[in-house]
Parts: sequence; C-alpha cells; structure tokens
Amino acid sequence: MGNPDITPRQSFLARTPSVLWFLGLLGLFTLGVTVLAEGFGMALLSTSMVKILGMTLCLCLIAVAMDVVWGYCGILSLGHFAFFGLGGYAIGMWLMYARTEGIVIESLANAPIPPTQEEITNAIATQIFGVVGSNELPALWTFADSLAMQLLFVVLVPGLLALVFGWLAFRSRVTGVYLSILTQAMTLALSLYLFQNDTGLRGNNGLSGLQNIPGLLHLPQSTIALWFFWASAAALGAGYLFFAWLVSGKFGSVIRGIRDNEARVRFLGYHVESYKLVVFTLTAVISGLAGALYYPQAGIINPAEIAPIASIYLAVWVAIGGRGRLYGAVIGAALVSLASSWFTGGGAPDVNLGFYTINWTDWWLVLLGLGFVAVTLFFPRGIGGLFDLLVRKP
Amino acid sequence: MSTLLEVSGVCVTFDGFRAINNLSIQIAEPELRAVIGPNGAGKTTFMDIVTGKTRPDEGRVTWGEKNISLLGMSESAIAREGIGRKFQKPTVFEEQTVRENLAMALRNKRGPLDVLLYRGTRQEAARITELAREIGLADHLPRRAGDLSHGQKQWLEIGMLLAQDPRLLLVDEPAAGMTPAEREHTTDILRRAAETRAVVVIEHDMEFVRRLGCKVTVLHEGAVLAEGSLDHVTQNRQVIDVYLGR
Repeated sequence: MGNPDITPRQSFLARTPSVLWFLGLLGLFTLGVTVLAEGFGMALLSTSMVKILGMTLCLCLIAVAMDVVWGYCGILSLGHFAFFGLGGYAIGMWLMYARTEGIVIESLANAPIPPTQEEITNAIATQIFGVVGSNELPALWTFADSLAMQLLFVVLVPGLLALVFGWLAFRSRVTGVYLSILTQAMTLALSLYLFQNDTGLRGNNGLSGLQNIPGLLHLPQSTIALWFFWASAAALGAGYLFFAWLVSGKFGSVIRGIRDNEARVRFLGYHVESYKLVVFTLTAVISGLAGALYYPQAGIINPAEIAPIASIYLAVWVAIGGRGRLYGAVIGAALVSLASSWFTGGGAPDVNLGFYTINWTDWWLVLLGLGFVAVTLFFPRGIGGLFDLLVRKP
Repeated sequence: MSTLLEVSGVCVTFDGFRAINNLSIQIAEPELRAVIGPNGAGKTTFMDIVTGKTRPDEGRVTWGEKNISLLGMSESAIAREGIGRKFQKPTVFEEQTVRENLAMALRNKRGPLDVLLYRGTRQEAARITELAREIGLADHLPRRAGDLSHGQKQWLEIGMLLAQDPRLLLVDEPAAGMTPAEREHTTDILRRAAETRAVVVIEHDMEFVRRLGCKVTVLHEGAVLAEGSLDHVTQNRQVIDVYLGR
C-alpha cells in the first residue's frame, strides 16, 4: 500500500494481529474437541460435554456482540439476551413443529382413512399446545413449517425489535444508566409476556425437544452435537472477524469517540444516533443468530432464559474478560460460563469447614460476585488486560 | 467580504435568567473576530446557539449566501454545514492516536455506511500530515492523544477543526493554560486560518486579543455592549465600567 509513512492503511488483519491469533486458537480448539469427541474420535469427551462446549461458543459470540455495543460504543445494554432468546424461539418453532409433524404423520399412517391436511395440522396443534390447554395453531406459527422463513425470523425479529427500540431510545437521547434500565425493562417485559400461556409460545413450558433435528433423526446425538459444535465455532469465528473489521477502521474510531465523548462527535458532524442504532441493531442480529445455534444444543428454551438477570450476567462476563477488546469478551464468557456450570452442576467438591459446609451450588454466586468486585478493583481492564503486560509498549 | 453568519434579536432564558438578551452579531467571511466579556456575559451560550446545542426563545440565526436558518437543525447537520467548534476544555479523543483524531475530523462523508466502507486515500493521508505539521504535532501522529501535553491537546483540537475545513470556526478560550510560546503559536494558527475563513475567538486574556489584532465584540449581560478595534472598545466608558474597571 505504498509508503508506510504516508499511508498507514494496511489490511485490517495486518493491523490487528490478535484476530489471526484468535482464529488460529479457535481452529485448534475445534480440532482438539473433534478428535476427542464421542461422535468422531477418541470418545474422551462425552456428547453432553461437546454440547456444553458448543453452547459456550455461542455465549462467546453474544459476548463479543455485547463488547462491541458496550465496550466500543459505550451503550450498556442490559437487554441483549432478549435478542438471543428470540433467535432461539424462532428456530425452536420450526424444530418443534417439523418434529411433531413427523410424529403425527407416523402415528396416523396406519389409520383406515388417510388423514387430511387439516387433521394433521390439528393433531400437531394439539400435540404442541395441549400443555397450555389449546388445540389451535396460533397465527404466530403460520410459517413454522418453513425452515427458511424461521431462519429469516432469527435475523428479522431481533433486528426489528432492536431497530424500533433503539430508534425510540436514541432519538430521545436516552443515555447511560437510564438506557440500561430501559433495556432491562424491555427484556423483563418480553420475558413476562412469554410466561403467559396464551401468547402462542407455550408459556412457561417454553419450547422443548429442540435437540431432535427433523430430517436428522437417524443420526446419533453424538454426531449432531459435533455438527452443532462446528457450526458454533464457525459462527464465532465469522462473527469475531466481522466485528473486528467493524471496529478496526474509521467506523471503530467514531463509535469509540461516541463512547468517550458523544457531544464532541456530534460537533464533528456525525449523526451519533444513526451510529448507535446501527451498532445496536447489528449486535442484536448477531445475538439472535447465536441464540439460534445455542438452543438446539440446550434442547429447551423457556421465558426464564431471557429474564433480566441473563443480560446482566452477559455484562459481567464482558467486564471480567475486559471490555473494549474482543478476545477479552470471549475469555470472560468462556471462563465464567464454564466455571458456572462446573460449580452449579456439582462438579466442584463441597468444602467442609467443620462448623459449616460450603455447598458450591449455593455459594457460586457469592464467588462470582467477589470475582467481579476483585476484577473491577484490581484489574479494571479485565483478564484480557493482562495481555497488555505481555506486549511491549512502543 | 460578505456576511456569513447573522445572529439577530436572539433571546435565551434559563430558568427565568436571561442569558442572552436581544443579541445581534454579524460575522463576515473571511474575518477574525474576538468576543470578550465578563463571566456570565453569554459568550459560551452564543456559541451554543450557533452550533445548535441551545435553542433560543426568540430571534433568527441565518447562515451562508442563501440565508438558511440554523434554528431547528441538529448539531451534526450544523457541523456539516461548515461550522466547527472548539470547546473551552480541550476535548480530544484521548484513547485514540493523534492520527485517528485528525482522520475522524477530516472533511468527508459522515454517514455510517460511508464511514464503514471508508478507505483512506493518499491525498487524505498527506492532508493529515500537513495538518499535523501546521499544528506542530508532525512527530506525534502515532501517539495517544491522552499522552499529549495540555497545549498540544489544544492544538490538536484546533487541527481537528481545520481538518473539518469549516467556513466558520468558533474557538472558545484557545490559549487557556498555555505557556507564552504556545500562545504565540496559537495566535499564528488562528490568524492564518482567518485568511480564508471566518474565525470567532472567545478569550479572556486581553494580551492575547491584542496580538490577534482584529475587530472585537464586547458582550455584557447577553447583549453587545461595544464593537470595534480593541483600542476603540477599551476607551468606551461603559466597557470600562462593567469589565475593565473591575
């Protein structure tokens, strides 16, 4: 690109070597898990472990999105898990419908009179919605038989919600803690709404059996788990690359400027609200995609998933990992969510103090809280900030 | 010389306090103008009005050959019209390098998509180098702006203003906290900028204003008290009473 003294515009990968490092490590990790997995290689990793790792990668992806919206653009959204959940619901509807359809057709196959399409649809509706006392397919499920449409909704629903919410909030210049509270209200309202039985998404039962992928039922879960793990790794890699590109150039410069001094950016002639809206919506869409990959591995989604606390955890991961650097978000999300499932899943042995036994299932949150305080006090740049100590300053 | 900015009959009230009271000022292009006045005279509020930060209760603010009204335009739209502003406190983006600061300010398309797909050209890179030389920061381009000295930050901000290539520069106390040598350099930069564009400088320091050697507007209680050369206004009885006499 010519004389480096005059044009410092190298390709963005050359300017940000951490991206290549990250992609390399992600590739190695994927290869390692594949070789050790039950479904492919040495069977040292159980299928449920592969699923946990795949889900962790999805959590890393939404953490990266959170880091862009908060760490780079300065919008402390405490509602991004709502978008994650909506992505999960959108794909879950197809998974559940198509699987139930298969079961219904199979069970009616031996009937003396071949069933009509209407009978099949009614049987599916009864199967899915009997649990909430309904036998009709809600209008919401109009396109549930179409994978393409539901995939479109994975992107459209979180994207549109973020667009409308962001447009209303940013144009009124709601910032800081007020915006955080608004986003909490959004995710709380959505979660409370979905808890109702008549919303067409099965209330607190949520959508279940999502690990059974229609059309792939002949394959063992160990294989499907591995496929989803690969897809999650690919999504994290692509999402990381995309966001790294987004924040590397002048766009990144502008949004970091908005984070540090919004008014100044405005007086430079940039329409700050548009930038915030773009970042908010883009990260919401990626969060929806991450959710759509996560829930088929989790097998179930219910409204508790998008409770306000989930989005707060997301912010905690990013803060612990180190905001304003994408690999920090990945480190934070992976470390904390894996530690969380180890401690709360009974992996950690109880500590007997004689007079009291520390049961980690109960005490994990205390540990997490202390960890968060410690990081905030002693490593304000998070775990990722430790990398600065390794890299010599010019 | 034609009128570039015309502020006429503007009033602003904050909680019952009249910050600006029937203010009328005309700025020509090119012109260098100093605005002085005691604290609370409405100097900064005047800039807030022109840049769209504060909406006046009454009056008109018109701009350019077509006399378009700036009232009702957003801050960013006014900035794109060609009005640049330097704040009292140096406000540069401390976490970013000098080069990034200048690149962000450089006159260019401002839409999110344009910026996302932006690839710097050789001319722009050369322009940044040239600007950096002009503000004495040629050797500091890769440095974090937060690591600059106070005076260098002030210059960087002036450089960012010049990078915007505005027709009107509004500069709030550019010499605050500068050493005498730095002040001299700042005067040079401003005088040079005013050869081709309109520059309005708010300043407390009389010596600095004298060195600018330009027309002076004295504000008091939100209105123009006197206007003319520095010698002319400093001999004005009213000006001496409200400002210089104290």
